[in-house]
Amino acid sequence: MLADRVIFVCIIVLTAVYFYATAQIPTLEIGDPLGPKAFPRLLGIGLLIVAALLFMEIWRARKTPPEASPQPSGDRRHLTVIGVVVAGTAVYLGVFTLLGYVIATSIYLLALMAYFHPGKWTANILTAVLFCVLSYLMFTKLLGVSLPRGVLPF
Amino acid sequence: METLTHILNGFSVCLQPINLWYTFIGVFIGTIIGVLPGIGPSAGIALLIPVTYGMNPTSALIMMCGIYYGTKYGGSTTAILIKTPGEAASVMTTIDGYEMARKGRAGAALAVSAIGSFIAGTLGVVALTLFALPLASMALKFGPAEYFCLMLFAMTAVASLSGKSPAKGMFSTLLGLMIATIGIDLQSGQPRYTMGVAEFQDGVGFIVVVVGLFAMAEVLRGMEDVFKGVAAPMIRISGKLWLTKEEWKRSIGPIWRGGIIGFIIGVLPGAGGTIASILSYTTEKRLSKNPEEFGKGAIEGVAGPESANNSDTAGAMVPLLTLGVPGGGATAVLMGAFIMYGIQPGPLLFEKRPDLVWGLVDSMYIGNIMLLILNLPLIGLFVRLLYIPSGILYPLIVAISVIGSYAINGSMLDLYLVLFFGVVGYVFQKVDIPVAPLVLSLVLGGIMEQSFRQAMTISGADPAIFVKSSISVTLITLSVVSIALPFILPRLKEWKKGAESQES
Repeated sequence: MLADRVIFVCIIVLTAVYFYATAQIPTLEIGDPLGPKAFPRLLGIGLLIVAALLFMEIWRARKTPPEASPQPSGDRRHLTVIGVVVAGTAVYLGVFTLLGYVIATSIYLLALMAYFHPGKWTANILTAVLFCVLSYLMFTKLLGVSLPRGVLPF
Repeated sequence: METLTHILNGFSVCLQPINLWYTFIGVFIGTIIGVLPGIGPSAGIALLIPVTYGMNPTSALIMMCGIYYGTKYGGSTTAILIKTPGEAASVMTTIDGYEMARKGRAGAALAVSAIGSFIAGTLGVVALTLFALPLASMALKFGPAEYFCLMLFAMTAVASLSGKSPAKGMFSTLLGLMIATIGIDLQSGQPRYTMGVAEFQDGVGFIVVVVGLFAMAEVLRGMEDVFKGVAAPMIRISGKLWLTKEEWKRSIGPIWRGGIIGFIIGVLPGAGGTIASILSYTTEKRLSKNPEEFGKGAIEGVAGPESANNSDTAGAMVPLLTLGVPGGGATAVLMGAFIMYGIQPGPLLFEKRPDLVWGLVDSMYIGNIMLLILNLPLIGLFVRLLYIPSGILYPLIVAISVIGSYAINGSMLDLYLVLFFGVVGYVFQKVDIPVAPLVLSLVLGGIMEQSFRQAMTISGADPAIFVKSSISVTLITLSVVSIALPFILPRLKEWKKGAESQES
């Protein structure tokens, strides 16, 4: 499988980066005999073993004939949708403190609902706004959790 | 005798009105989380930790455990009515439960799940009560080297059992351990892997990782399903919420067997509720006189697995409470909750805070009774949750995750991390990398490194300390076996097959 080979390469890169970052940790020659680098080094060695095991798995899967592996249908539209959702969420987080919890979250929820629950405008607007206002009041006033107020006066 | 005193004292704790109230809230939220697909016990517990911060730890932990075992009751409802496991461990129930519902026996299927869950859940708590003290007193003899080996065994077992590929499971474990090394090293005071970001000096919070991997990733996957438009039609509850005499007779055996299988699997690290219910299902199918009925609405196929996944939760509490080493993802999150309240689960807890431990254990008896009531006469209320369209439900879960994660420190970085781990969890699911090992090792990572370094300090940096006692040798052997077995077993089978075909 292609995915497994990609994972294999990722593990190798990650191991190299982790070993490099471990070497950068400053050490003082006092205190415990091992210092802060020993355990991470063990983990790095562990990663190398994992890479070897994964290589074995890939190798064995190669020898056995492909057992009717479900051919990817080539339809990748859902990945685009998920990508847009992730990007949208990042934008939402970007304006979270600026606009405040209630406004930012209402807009975010409405946008998602408009796409994933289309056509039902009344239900969507009611749910999004009521949820945001009620959860804001419940968490800030009752449970003492602070959420960004943003441009709202209360 | 000593145990009896503890049990009675425990009841005096958990019967206090405030604790009864929190038991109720816990099992109530647990049932809701169980019914709702897209959010499971791990994310539910993690999201509640910041909100309950500052509460009395006993009450808070009683509530969190209530969520944990409550989800198993709720999960079956979704499995039976819409053929989607509301919670991972009820996946086997989707087979015969949904078929029963299609044949107009939804009421019976829901009833046998609730009753089986209750009987097996209570059976599990009885076993937990009996085994806790002997195990805890044995664990008192563990030194840092033994603890290190015990954690190693828990991690390797989870790694090799929780996915299709043991290598990917181990990769997930190591990632968790690596994330745990981020932050200031407690012994030397050196910052590690902080990449110059001041907030990373405190490390990456496990709540953020759990919410990302379990809630956010699940939302992304759910949205993909909504986009593709895959969903089985929902079936309304039909038939009385009770069993006929014939159904009773067929169910009682599977309930007992499922209860025993579930508890044993629960105590062992690695396997967990899903495997317990699969084992129970295959056992019942093998024992049945009419195995061809399985998959077409056999009540045994609902009674057994649903009982197994409930006694599994009680079994899983055994290593968490007595050894302080959880054996799976959800109990790891529970352990994280303990630690957030400044309580270290393990053998010493039985001496230091018997009121907390036994109050917690006894609250599980009461919680199971409450769950039976919530999930039998009142199940109609929870079923309404299933009418919430997914297109509304998933966005709301994101909003709840944002509130919960922001509540920890009021940090924007935490929110971006939730999104990051959400994407990671989504991708991992696509490429078959299990995430439970990551959560387990993230929670245990700090403690594991501490015991490793303590052991090495004791021995003067001589690694032979890890093979000095028979306990640690046994544990290391078990760890090696649990890694090697998935590689050797297929070879053995091939070899056996080859030998047989040569003979014939």
